[in-house]
Amino acid sequence: MNIRVVKRESAGAGRQIGAYLAAVAAALILGAVLLAIQGVEPVTFYQRMLTLGIPGNKYPFRILENFIKLFVPLLIVSTALALAFKMRFWNIGGEGQFILGAICASAVGLKLGEALPRPLLILVMALCGLLGGGLYGVFVAALKVKWGTNETLLTLMLNYIALYFLQFFAETKADWNFFLDPASARPKFVKFPESAQMLTIPLGPFNLNLSLVAAAILCVVIYLYLKRTKGGYEIAVVGDSPSTARYAGMPVGRIIIRTIFLSAALIGLAGAFYVSSAGTLSASVTNDVGWTGIVVAWLAKLNMAGIVLASLLITVLQFGCQSASTTYPSIDANFANLLQGVILFAVLAADFFTRFKLVKASKEVA
Amino acid sequence: MKKKLLALVMAMAMILSLAACGGGNTSTPGSSPAASSQPSASTPSASTPSASGDQSEPAAEPASEFKVGAIYINSQNDTAGYTFQHHNGIVTAMKELGLDPETQLLIVDNVDDGDDTAVANAIDTLAGQGVNIIFGISFGYIGAMDEKSAQYPDIIFSHGTGYLGNETNFNNYFGRIYQARYLAGIAAGLKSKELGNNNIGYVAAWNLEYAETCSGINAFALGAQSANPDATVYVNKISTWGDEKLEREAAQALINNYNCCVISQHCDSAQPQLVAAENEVFGCGYNSDMTEQAPTAHLTSAIWHWNVYYQTAIQAAMDCNGDASKFVDNMGGNAYYAGIKEGFVDASPLNESVAAPYTAKIMDGVRALMESGTWDVFSGIKLSYEVTNGTVNISRTAADLVDNQGNVIVAAGGPSVDDGVIKGSMDYNVAGVIEG
Repeated sequence: MNIRVVKRESAGAGRQIGAYLAAVAAALILGAVLLAIQGVEPVTFYQRMLTLGIPGNKYPFRILENFIKLFVPLLIVSTALALAFKMRFWNIGGEGQFILGAICASAVGLKLGEALPRPLLILVMALCGLLGGGLYGVFVAALKVKWGTNETLLTLMLNYIALYFLQFFAETKADWNFFLDPASARPKFVKFPESAQMLTIPLGPFNLNLSLVAAAILCVVIYLYLKRTKGGYEIAVVGDSPSTARYAGMPVGRIIIRTIFLSAALIGLAGAFYVSSAGTLSASVTNDVGWTGIVVAWLAKLNMAGIVLASLLITVLQFGCQSASTTYPSIDANFANLLQGVILFAVLAADFFTRFKLVKASKEVA
Repeated sequence: MKKKLLALVMAMAMILSLAACGGGNTSTPGSSPAASSQPSASTPSASTPSASGDQSEPAAEPASEFKVGAIYINSQNDTAGYTFQHHNGIVTAMKELGLDPETQLLIVDNVDDGDDTAVANAIDTLAGQGVNIIFGISFGYIGAMDEKSAQYPDIIFSHGTGYLGNETNFNNYFGRIYQARYLAGIAAGLKSKELGNNNIGYVAAWNLEYAETCSGINAFALGAQSANPDATVYVNKISTWGDEKLEREAAQALINNYNCCVISQHCDSAQPQLVAAENEVFGCGYNSDMTEQAPTAHLTSAIWHWNVYYQTAIQAAMDCNGDASKFVDNMGGNAYYAGIKEGFVDASPLNESVAAPYTAKIMDGVRALMESGTWDVFSGIKLSYEVTNGTVNISRTAADLVDNQGNVIVAAGGPSVDDGVIKGSMDYNVAGVIEG
């Protein structure tokens, strides 16, 4: 049988969103079947997963606080990656930029912990995270503008350099290595001084992590930047066609450098927030957010509201699955990854079928 | 890794699809990387655990309310390796104490010990679900466990391979595995003497970086030298706790470069033993009895009986009757450090078909010495063995314990420095160890 793919006339936004929701639902149903096969009651499991295990929990607010600690970095990184992807600059160096931001922020936090008051120090740490991540990313952008190097390869490889740098700090006991706890015989990262730990706003028993507020503001600002400013428009034009941009007199090189600095700097900022919220640097500090962020940005079609929703969904999946699976011997953290993968491909399929349709090719055409 | 792959595929898909957008009709190839992550569908026969822990059991004893929490570095469904050993230990101990692991054991697994936030979250997850005691099995959990033990004074924290603790609800546990390594060393030394080849190899995750690893190398070397004074232990370090490919290569390199006739190991898999078997040399494993994997090569393994600790700890925790602060007192201190005497560590049953004659008898004699507490490995007294008419004679001679730089660690006749292992300050190799 001969099948051809034909583009549909037009898919309305409502229809598209409907298809996405159906895809997520289909993925969850497939997950439910897998759960049932392993002798786990799917409805109860999903209930606990989607509520993060908060009902009946002894410390519900702490669960929420932890959730925010994971949600904020993913949200910021996805947003930042979307910026670069809009310009068709394939920044897959989120991991590396995140680590650089985390290292820079930690260095400042540890070195100036005694010297600066807490709000100021956290601000300085954030700025250093921005700068660290930003410079690490802009290096690749500069190479691309100057010599047309491939940014996918370079950002990918820089991830490993950053990762091994961090591992070197994590494992090298030496007098100069102020990242490690001097009191420990085995190498172990030292705890930040109080003044370098993320501020929280107490709301009754719940402590609102300030980075959530910052992330929310950032999302709005980035949204407005993309939709309402010349800079945002330029990103879209360069993304669609660099030659058009050049013909229109836009400084393409400058736009690329500016945008990638912004993208990488935001990822660095997320790294700064993460270590500051954790109160210590860690050897695997990223929680894979540089990779997951790509998935989120893609799921959301680089759309700001979509990014908020998708990063929320992914964090609920990962975090909720852990809460729900504690008593099931057959379910572990891998289930969340599995479900995430299934959702992703279901959404991709939905996307494909709202834009295209399959028709049996007639003889003449074939 | 899986995530990285997924993300890369996504990036590629994105590039392709965006690049293709302009060109009307496209057909995408039906790649389905999602299929690569199949769920591990083990324990299908297990009776469906009732979801929200409904207490249908009418038993009035408080033991049925007791909940154990565990944080693992790998998956609870592993079939070998470090997490498997601990999980097995906890389950065995719970059954022994009449607890039901199906409903009373709560686990968060695959918790990266390099990510403090992940560890803290795992602890909060377990705490929120009402566990009475939390076991953390990896060293890297130390910071989070220390902090959380103060935050949750009503929960007991017990940290494997760590060194922190407090006076109430937080202890650490590890064992004198070096004693078991010494016994394995005896088997290796006797074999090398029988073969007339003094070169013994050791595939090590790390060496001087951790007291845990170099103490194991040292004890093994001393055991080997007690049986064959001319034995040299060549250490090949792979700089990771487990990597099957590296373990395999390291073992092969030891055989190729130094003509080693026995391969010992401190790493996760049985690969070094398999390599020994392929090369028709011999070996000593770690963590589990590897005779099953390499029946023609494997002599004996240094093994843990984690259930010994877990049973003691869970019993002590239940004896607290809800007052977690009594735990450290119930355990008799905040650092549990048992050895052969308590049955916490041992050499696995000797593979008689490949071991040198009298190996079992000599090992038994030395085991008895350690159990009696009259002698220990890192002391200024060396052991040597003599077999006359089928009876084994173990003699003790005072001699300096010397490191491989020529420094005297313990003067002749001095007491054992096992506190260097406990506190993690041992950072040397004894004479006769060469890292290459």
